[in-house]
Amino acid sequence: MTATPTPAAAEAAEERIEDRTTEIARQRFNESKRAERRLGLMLVAPAVVLMLAVTAYPILYAIWLSLNKADLRRPADNQFVWFDNYVTVLSSPIWWTAFGVTIFITVISAALELVLGMALAVVMHRTIVGRGLVRTSALVPYAIVTVVAAFSWRFAWTQDLGWLAPTDSAPLTSFWPSIWIIILSEVWKTVPFMALLLMAGLALVPEDLLKAASMDGATAWKRFWMVTVPLIKPAILVALLFRTLDAFRIFDNIFVLTSGANKTSSVSMVTFSNLIRGLNLGIGSAMSVLIFITTGIIAFLFIKLFGAAAPGSDPGGRR
Amino acid sequence: MKIQQRTGASRRPSRWTAAIGVAALLTSLAACSSGPKGTVVNLYGGASGTGFEKILDDCNQKAAGRYTIVGNLLPSDADGQRDQLVRRLAAHDDGMDLLGMDVIWTGEFAEAGWVRELTGDQKAQATKDTLQPPIDTATWKGKLYGIPRTTNVQLMWYRKSLVPTPPKTYDEMISMAQKLKSEGQKTYEIGMTAAQYEGYVVNINNLVTAYGGTLVNKDSTAPTIDDKTVKALDLMHRLATSGVTSPSLSNAQEPEVFADLQNEKSAFSLNWPYVLSAMREANKDLVNDLGFAPFPSVDGGTPRVTLGGMNYGISTYSKHPNEAFEAGMCLRNEKNALSAALDAGDVPALATVFENPEFIKAYPMKDALLAELKNAVPRPVSPVYQNISTIVSTTLSPPSAIDPQKSADKLRDSIQAAIEGKGILP
Amino acid sequence: MQPETTNRKLMWWGINILVLLYAFIPVVWLLSLSLKDSETLNDGKYFPVSPTGENYQAIFSNQDFIRALINSIGICLIATLVAIVLGTMSAYAIARLDFPGKKIIVGLALLISMFPQIALVTPLFKIETALRLFDTWPGLIIPYITFALPLAIYTLSAFFREIPWDLEKAAKMDGATPYQAFRQVITPLAMPGVFTTAILVFIACWNDFLFALSLTSTNAARTVPAAMSYFTGATTFEKPTGPIAAAAIVITIPILLFVLVFQRRIVAGLTSGAVKG
Repeated sequence: MTATPTPAAAEAAEERIEDRTTEIARQRFNESKRAERRLGLMLVAPAVVLMLAVTAYPILYAIWLSLNKADLRRPADNQFVWFDNYVTVLSSPIWWTAFGVTIFITVISAALELVLGMALAVVMHRTIVGRGLVRTSALVPYAIVTVVAAFSWRFAWTQDLGWLAPTDSAPLTSFWPSIWIIILSEVWKTVPFMALLLMAGLALVPEDLLKAASMDGATAWKRFWMVTVPLIKPAILVALLFRTLDAFRIFDNIFVLTSGANKTSSVSMVTFSNLIRGLNLGIGSAMSVLIFITTGIIAFLFIKLFGAAAPGSDPGGRR
Repeated sequence: MKIQQRTGASRRPSRWTAAIGVAALLTSLAACSSGPKGTVVNLYGGASGTGFEKILDDCNQKAAGRYTIVGNLLPSDADGQRDQLVRRLAAHDDGMDLLGMDVIWTGEFAEAGWVRELTGDQKAQATKDTLQPPIDTATWKGKLYGIPRTTNVQLMWYRKSLVPTPPKTYDEMISMAQKLKSEGQKTYEIGMTAAQYEGYVVNINNLVTAYGGTLVNKDSTAPTIDDKTVKALDLMHRLATSGVTSPSLSNAQEPEVFADLQNEKSAFSLNWPYVLSAMREANKDLVNDLGFAPFPSVDGGTPRVTLGGMNYGISTYSKHPNEAFEAGMCLRNEKNALSAALDAGDVPALATVFENPEFIKAYPMKDALLAELKNAVPRPVSPVYQNISTIVSTTLSPPSAIDPQKSADKLRDSIQAAIEGKGILP
Repeated sequence: MQPETTNRKLMWWGINILVLLYAFIPVVWLLSLSLKDSETLNDGKYFPVSPTGENYQAIFSNQDFIRALINSIGICLIATLVAIVLGTMSAYAIARLDFPGKKIIVGLALLISMFPQIALVTPLFKIETALRLFDTWPGLIIPYITFALPLAIYTLSAFFREIPWDLEKAAKMDGATPYQAFRQVITPLAMPGVFTTAILVFIACWNDFLFALSLTSTNAARTVPAAMSYFTGATTFEKPTGPIAAAAIVITIPILLFVLVFQRRIVAGLTSGAVKG
């Protein structure tokens, strides 16, 4: 039987061998995919379990409370009222004024922080002298406890007590000056946060690309916009997203600077007032859920805007 | 590129181990805490006053081993204290026995069932020799819920060199201040707290009660806002627009009012008695020129001023109510009340302390205080006082924008809503 | 690189000084408040006329403050460590592995960081009281880790994504196991992200006020920001501005040390080019 195989038989044999190898290859591929899935799930498990264990009950409880008429002083009187609390809150001018103020402060401070943060990040990254000094000092505003920083601004802007107060007017007693002082305090404090995230992003931009661009004749400004910014989009997204979410929930600065006077309250302050001062769990929880929904919308808009730069959006596992 | 060149990685484990080691050491530090053995009476509130340790020691000695009083700290601001206490009381925490209740919490805590009623013998002991107005602040619906410990009323402080005779009415005070201003004096202002917070409600209450009005009725079932309130609001508006108040009036809390007096901008200052001891530290020369008098009234009659202060309440969830009561009585007895008055500036609720020669020496304004205390009025006693307070301070802020009739109507509607549990707080 | 001429050096020094001014002018004001005595506290001057160390003496003789410092250091170090470990593991998986439910997990993390913490305090308090974690170190560490994880995961994912895929392939071809590839190739490149996240998590934990205030009751676990709100003045209505300012300055120093030590590592990971071309 040592005759050479016929062409047809040889082809058939080859096909069979090919089928088997592809099958083996496919099996191996599936196995490695499964292994990858297992590894992935195992790696995220601790974090997910911890986050769920700690926050599941509180969040669900808060949502449940928002559907009830509940007062901490009369725990036996809870009444399920469907969406009454939401109607009460959403039809109140108090809520909407605070909402408007909060949106204004959020947009302006986030924009300022992005621009200034980017500038600071560039300086922190590129400075050729005193690197350690600049980087550490730039973080000082962020490192100071918020309430104390706010308190020192309040002191500074109060008539006679501080170095910034003009002699004939009290900026903290009227709406627009107060708002700008609040924004100043907020921006001063958190520009380093943005700068730090953006700087770490800048550190990942390969030098060679920039060198190539400059050899092609691009100015520093052009290099920045055409090379650097696209590459640090993920860092910008993270920084801007988290900063905006935090800015929307501003509390400490306003509480210390004006106590919310002259309608400078934010939504968080109104929530605090109803939940903690008034011990009205139903209304307070409803406000919390509304804040949560609003931040959810903001986050959604961001991720849509930045699209592929969001984490988890690429399938990963390219081998 | 060879992997072995990456040496950075191999250095890290030792650093992490060191970090873990430090953390473990610190955790073990955290674990070691010792507490007193036997029955412990946990005091929350007023435990951080200057010189309180010796009061604690004194009462622990008297307890002779039957119980030990442990003084626990609370945040220094009243609202922060309330937050902490309320959270734990609502959770039926048995770790708190004796509570330092601000006078404005009595209705709330009593109605929620968080503090025990004092009856019979305990009630007699708690009210013996005590001034009546502080007792009223510890009473809700006719029942006593606390041992009055300290009380407080604001005084009118003024500059003796600029104000030969203190004014008897608010209008007189305003015109005196305006006269000083027109004479070109740099010290002419009337200092008062009018930021959007509790201190402003105190002042509003001063004015409303000066006209004989109140904000809610006795059982706190309905607001009692009427023309007297309108007159009071009108007076507040006039004060704020008279041109003799600080430009920062609507952001002024006690520290700012004190600073204005210290920096010689205020000729009149409506503030608590601590001003005297604080000014002795801050500006010794000014102290000699500092005069004090009872508050002005609106018609030259008896001044009616808002009461502050603190009462000791016994938590419903305390496992040792009798020991807690005994501890509270000891902590505020005559000797210890005098000690607190001298060291921490706490005006006692016990009438007998006022006769003590040491007290008289340290409190030259004792007579003015007593005169005011005899006629002092509480803030609206109500389980929803916090809501009312928030409503009052936000509706009437800033003082220069008050429209007396409109603001009064708004107050009435909002307070009615708060009592019924409707609406939201600003 | 461009020549480091004196001109360029001067320009950068000029810019540096602007940064320093931005950072320090308000801080110097805070410092001067901490050095003022009660006579000059309200004088409105930027620099103290008669500086005194009495505020610093006061806080360091305050046992509760010292204890609070220890609590803060311990709690925040542990929380940061654990958050970084858990965050790195999760971020690596999210950025570079394929498994079901990725988007849900990322969304969950964001959801948790978005919900107003103030509404969560009372239920958390109830849970901790029931589990006897109230007023203990773990009672604060666990919430801190939980609320730091979203930021950690997001930041670290963003960095892991940027690392070129070829590196792992090259490592494998050099004969490394996946774990070796991770430790010796990926991790050093992820260092900028890791240290940045560590700094941010540490600062967030260090400055947290809400949980520190609500989940502690004695100095067993109270951290510094909460302890500062417990400072009292000589009498009830006097705000202890001096000691508070002194405390604020003092508690900023550990953070600055932390940052000073770590800030080099943020860029160090990139200095050796990994894969050419």
